[in-house]
Amino acid sequence: MKYVVRAVVLGLVGYVFGVVITLAIRGGSPTDEVAVVIGFVFGLIGWLAGIGGIEAFGRQWIGKTPQVSTDHGWRRYFQFSVDHKVIGIQYGVTLLAVLLIGGFSAMIMRIELASPGMSIVDLEEFNKLVSMHGILMVAVAVAGVIGAFGNYIIPIQIGAADMAFPRLNALSYWLVPPVAIGLLTAPLLGSFSAGWTAYAPLSVTGDSGQILFNMAIITFGLSSILGGLNIIVTVVTMRAPGMTWGRLPIFTWSGFATAILSFSVTQFFAGALILVTMDRVAGTDFFGPDVGGGLLYEHIFWFYSHPAVYIMVLPGFGVILELVTTFARKPLFAYKAVVGSMLAIVGLSVVVWAHHMFTSGMADFLHGPFMILTEAISIPTGVIFLGIIGTLWQGKLWFRTPLVIAFGWLFNFLIGGITGIFLADVATDIHLHDTYFVVAHFHYTIVGGAIFALLAAFFYWYPKITGRMYNDTAGKIFAIWVTVAFNFTFIPLFWVGINGMNRRIGDYPDAYANANMFASISALVLGASFLLFVGNIVWSAIKGPKAGANPWNARTLEWQIASPPTHHNFLSQPVVVGHPYDYGNGDSPHAIFPNSQGASEPEESPEEVLV
Amino acid sequence: MRKSWLPVGLLWLGYTILLVALTAKVNVLPVEWAEEAHIVDEAFLLLMYLGSPVMALVLAVMTWGAIAWRSDGATREDGPNQHNHRALVTTWLVLTSALAIYVVINPGFVGLAEIRGEPSSDYVIEMEASQFFWEVTYPNGATALDELVVPAEKRVRYDVNSTDVLHSFWIPAFRVKIDAVPGLTTQVYTTATHEGTIDDDINLRVQCAELCGAGHAAMAMPVRVVSDAEWHEYIDSLDGGE
Repeated sequence: MKYVVRAVVLGLVGYVFGVVITLAIRGGSPTDEVAVVIGFVFGLIGWLAGIGGIEAFGRQWIGKTPQVSTDHGWRRYFQFSVDHKVIGIQYGVTLLAVLLIGGFSAMIMRIELASPGMSIVDLEEFNKLVSMHGILMVAVAVAGVIGAFGNYIIPIQIGAADMAFPRLNALSYWLVPPVAIGLLTAPLLGSFSAGWTAYAPLSVTGDSGQILFNMAIITFGLSSILGGLNIIVTVVTMRAPGMTWGRLPIFTWSGFATAILSFSVTQFFAGALILVTMDRVAGTDFFGPDVGGGLLYEHIFWFYSHPAVYIMVLPGFGVILELVTTFARKPLFAYKAVVGSMLAIVGLSVVVWAHHMFTSGMADFLHGPFMILTEAISIPTGVIFLGIIGTLWQGKLWFRTPLVIAFGWLFNFLIGGITGIFLADVATDIHLHDTYFVVAHFHYTIVGGAIFALLAAFFYWYPKITGRMYNDTAGKIFAIWVTVAFNFTFIPLFWVGINGMNRRIGDYPDAYANANMFASISALVLGASFLLFVGNIVWSAIKGPKAGANPWNARTLEWQIASPPTHHNFLSQPVVVGHPYDYGNGDSPHAIFPNSQGASEPEESPEEVLV
Repeated sequence: MRKSWLPVGLLWLGYTILLVALTAKVNVLPVEWAEEAHIVDEAFLLLMYLGSPVMALVLAVMTWGAIAWRSDGATREDGPNQHNHRALVTTWLVLTSALAIYVVINPGFVGLAEIRGEPSSDYVIEMEASQFFWEVTYPNGATALDELVVPAEKRVRYDVNSTDVLHSFWIPAFRVKIDAVPGLTTQVYTTATHEGTIDDDINLRVQCAELCGAGHAAMAMPVRVVSDAEWHEYIDSLDGGE
């Protein structure tokens, strides 16, 4: 814990230093936005130095050998560890905590919305809750599967000992806690209430908490960009002998596709927020009322934020495809077409952003092209569905918890996909845009597509990561509970949206009271299901039976090594000789370990010096 | 191993009929008060019908899989070693592409053309949004803050503007929406079909549909549709008219 303490202290010192020099130069108050911005930057540097940047990077800058932590116990999770498995767990636990905080804010919102009129918060506080819930959950959806399982699983699936840039990987993770701190301390400066979208000019004129939102999200963007870069380089350069692109496991393919997107488009959200920040603190006027800059903001923002939904769901596709082949015990159907579709989605996702803007007042001739391109995305997405149902077809379906959640995912994402067509179509979108229909739709795609995949991934790789098996009955009860409660919560919201209830409102006409009460009760039942989830995974981590190396009898590389994996993953270099999903073909292996001497292989070496 | 085609096919048919029947029998749409509303609702229903067989197909596979393809994983028995089925993938691609192209044309472009209509109008009403109210300016220069009164069976163009942040001009009963952007005048056309007030239908209201600050939820204003003659009488009675 000493590194965390040092990081907090140096972070605070940095923050105070930044504020003090700002005050020394220009005077004013320590809560002035420009002081907060400068303080945040120095605070971030102090935090990173304190957590281990001094040893991992700083020493090298003065000609010494860099050092990283050598701890092996629980302490390594609180240090600048460069082990991709530690970083995966750090991401997983951090984002699970953020998911629970975001879920708690949703519970408060649903309690407020249970009946018309204001009961526990006022209208402005409700807007702040909406904004906080939105941005926390977007962060979980963007980084959940790829941060936790991408980091943990991808290097093992390709037969590598670690990521290509281990220190960069640690840096990506340790940028995340300051994001959470920035967002969660924003209420001290009046919080932010312009929604997670932070549309200008509202985000330029709102309370000062917006500035912490901007700085936190710019930092989060940096983390995403570095993480994306790392995964791209890792998959390109670190594959084991024989791991051709045509043998790459589908989860790794999905992570690779995701990384291309997060590496290439995250800059735009950060850029938009830098412009908002400058409008607020530097007296610029990018989005001011006089220049019609609101439209400009929307274009820049959605140029990231539409691809972002694919950053959220592409790893979800990978998780579901991966576990469907395992539990159907069949080869992944139409592997090449599925991979091609993922790459097609990457390409198409950057040319559809303006479908969020059919009512924005942008030039009319833009509606047609963006409608065509948006509908075109349904074709590769359909191929991914074909891959899933083709794999299930006449398989030997083993209904363990991950497959039950995958069925829930399939149902939810199907509804999310079909309702998406209503929003891609200009005529229907003109009515449905910014209503609860949109809220229900994107919860079906993002919760249904990304968060359900995150849960499925938890239950699929849990025995690998912890070495222990959870209670499968409790897992299945949770899977059914969460799916039913989720649908009961959001189906009524389609109806209220169609019938004239707009989104992001704390109060609404009496006509929508019954449906909202129903949704609110269902939402509380949905929230309660997570007690069972957390209880199961925490209890099983301590008391669960040993899982063994390969409890699902799966073929990919992560299941061919110990649970949990040893420090360098593989005791000897794996050589890939076959397809990862060649089920039903006798003993054809995916990979062999030609130099392995079995149990006589030495245990991991204790020293850890980084090159 | 062709035995799953028949039950899945039957389930597909059954689910499709069920979903189509539900769409036809259960009305989820609010009352139409404008010609534009009818265009939107027709597009909505067409998409419901087109989506039904897609939804039904996946549901059919899931249902039959959960019933007939169960297996105890402890047996370690593998399914058939089938990696691909070229003809099936090609057929799937052709059918889904055809469906996507059809949807782009109808209701896509057809609906877009219909809802935009001719750029001509009988009257122009200006709607100026501010945090957190609407100011209506009628053709005679009269202004109002308490309600929007619209003549029935006349094509009205709304010139929408904002004085501060983004707002959005939405009349749910008319199904039209356009953002109010500061520094930009946006336009939308509607033709109300029959007379009514917010007491007849909660959706006869102007609702701000873009988060605009603390008062966003309450930024609504009743809409009253009256006859053309009554409308002229009303706007002439307002202060500021010529």
